[in-house]
Amino acid sequence: MLNIKKFAISCALVAGLSAGSAQAQDCGEVSITEMDWGSAVIVTQVAKFLLEQGYGCSITVVPSASTPALASVSETGEPDIITEVWTNGAPAYIPLLEAGKINELTHVLSDGGVEGLWIPVYLAEAHPELLTIEGVLANPDLVGNRMHNCPVGWTCQVIATNVAKAGGFEASGVEDFVHGSGETLTASIASAYSSKEPWFGYYWSPSLVLGKYPMVQVALGSHDPAQQACNSDVNCATPMVQNWPSSVVTTVVTDTFEASHPAEADVMRNLSFTNAMMNGLLAWQDENKATGDEAAVYFLSTQQDIWKSWINDSARGKLAALLQ
Amino acid sequence: MAFYDSLFNGLGLRVWCDSAPGTANLSMASLLAKTNPETANSGPIFPFPSMDELYQACSSFPQSREFTAAVEDAFLNVKDVLKSVLDPLTQPLSWLLELALFSFLAAPWWIIIPLILLFVWYVCRSVVVTAFVTLSFVFLGFIDHLDAALQTLAIIAVCTGICILLGVPVGIAMAKSNRLQRGLIPLLDLLQTLPTFVYLIPLIFLFSVTEPKLYGIAIIVYAIVPVIRLTDLGIRLVDQDVVEAANAFGMSPRQKLLGVELPLALPNIMAGVNQTIMMSLAMVVIASLVSAPGLGVLVLRGIRNLELGVGLIAGLGIVLLAVILDRVSKAAIARVSTDQTFK
Repeated sequence: MLNIKKFAISCALVAGLSAGSAQAQDCGEVSITEMDWGSAVIVTQVAKFLLEQGYGCSITVVPSASTPALASVSETGEPDIITEVWTNGAPAYIPLLEAGKINELTHVLSDGGVEGLWIPVYLAEAHPELLTIEGVLANPDLVGNRMHNCPVGWTCQVIATNVAKAGGFEASGVEDFVHGSGETLTASIASAYSSKEPWFGYYWSPSLVLGKYPMVQVALGSHDPAQQACNSDVNCATPMVQNWPSSVVTTVVTDTFEASHPAEADVMRNLSFTNAMMNGLLAWQDENKATGDEAAVYFLSTQQDIWKSWINDSARGKLAALLQ
Repeated sequence: MAFYDSLFNGLGLRVWCDSAPGTANLSMASLLAKTNPETANSGPIFPFPSMDELYQACSSFPQSREFTAAVEDAFLNVKDVLKSVLDPLTQPLSWLLELALFSFLAAPWWIIIPLILLFVWYVCRSVVVTAFVTLSFVFLGFIDHLDAALQTLAIIAVCTGICILLGVPVGIAMAKSNRLQRGLIPLLDLLQTLPTFVYLIPLIFLFSVTEPKLYGIAIIVYAIVPVIRLTDLGIRLVDQDVVEAANAFGMSPRQKLLGVELPLALPNIMAGVNQTIMMSLAMVVIASLVSAPGLGVLVLRGIRNLELGVGLIAGLGIVLLAVILDRVSKAAIARVSTDQTFK
């Protein structure tokens, strides 16, 4: 339902904006997506500020999610910029890239996203043996006899289910519980933390949730790229227990945008965070009960050295007041 | 200089205000003001005295985010008490849903489908409707959606059953007491409009997310309203002359209710039941967001992976179930109504 709504909103906004991005000289109107998770909001707000204040663009922020945004770009050529596409989780990404409908500018999280199976820190401290998957399977009741899996339709759900199949999770007494939505997955972590109950399941970093509720990754064993392709397939005949590869997280623009706005595309190409930087911002956001906008402002007002190198000379001139 | 500085100065609160260090997060607006100093004073001439605006003038004044944080803390504090009351109270709902899902799926198709058809025939006695239901199930089975459809049907059966069990008595009580009616109508409006996730996410803190009762509650809260409203209306619409006659015969209130009012209100109550069934079906996809099995899961998969065919077929399955349930309950209403006219 949420996704339908977002899709409808993006479509509506996109339709209203299709006139934009025509004038190359004065930037004009640019549409940029804002995904609904913590780090994406920061990236979008930072990009919005730099493009508006440094390059004189007039930015429209489109609330969206990976799949609807990619579908919208491939069918209508709008919005112009998609921030933070987690390519592991978007099956449509590679075909669109190969068809030339989208251009990958950069890895916006330069270390890549970390996906995997996690347990809360308090559980790891009390029972260090749970840090490996063998330890979890030997003590299923210590993790609540349950693996919290992604919702149906997320790529990670297929992978985690294959890992569970290969590891004989059910036989060891660990149920593979598929959530109905990302919201309930997140709420189950918060709920377990509030009463220090066992929790074991899938999540990703950098994320606001892992910043707020520290977790440690359970070691699943080495990673083989060829095997990963099988693990991501619902009908994988030979699933294996292995770690997730680090996810490539990219910034994507349309062809027309890159051609008509080379300077603006350069900013988006330079705009990239390490996981340490992003985790620091998310931790600050949580500590100060701040919004994503305020975390972006915190970054812009305290870490000028980093973003100074992202923008060109004329933009540095316009933002001189902040750079002093 | 913030707009409300003079207010706090005038009240002699300046000392109290300055006793707390200002630790507000820098907002986008103030960053923009720093970037372009000439736009710094372009704020509203007379800002609304909101918590954040007052905080600007007096850093001892709480910000509105502290208000939301206090609501959250209050919930987390009463959480354990609420849990010890609500968890056992709602446990039968989980058992019922588990039992229904298990028995609908465990029975082989050549037992469960004839049973459903027999039930349809029993409630509506209509060849056309029964034939339509048969065809629909054959179609759903043929495209391998039978199990998902039966899961959805099992959930709806349990939830509508509970709605009727709770809703009809509440409706009767509302019809008997004007004060209760005045009190309950705003509550019913609230139940229908409160966004589902707003109360479902806090509920996860009270129950385990794996409990079927989570989606059971979501469906019941939304779907119980029409049966309450229409029971209330049906009983209030019973002809006052008939009630007077019943009084004249010296009927006790109990005899009056069971022998006169309920039978005469039955067509309205059945219309409420029909609406309740349709509204539980409308919640199927939302319920799948909190792990309800059935056709809703397929719809979600279709949307999330852009597998348009999967989504459309599952959606069609839901529509087909809706038509079946609507036809069957309407046929049952028609039978009830004609029975009454002939008696």
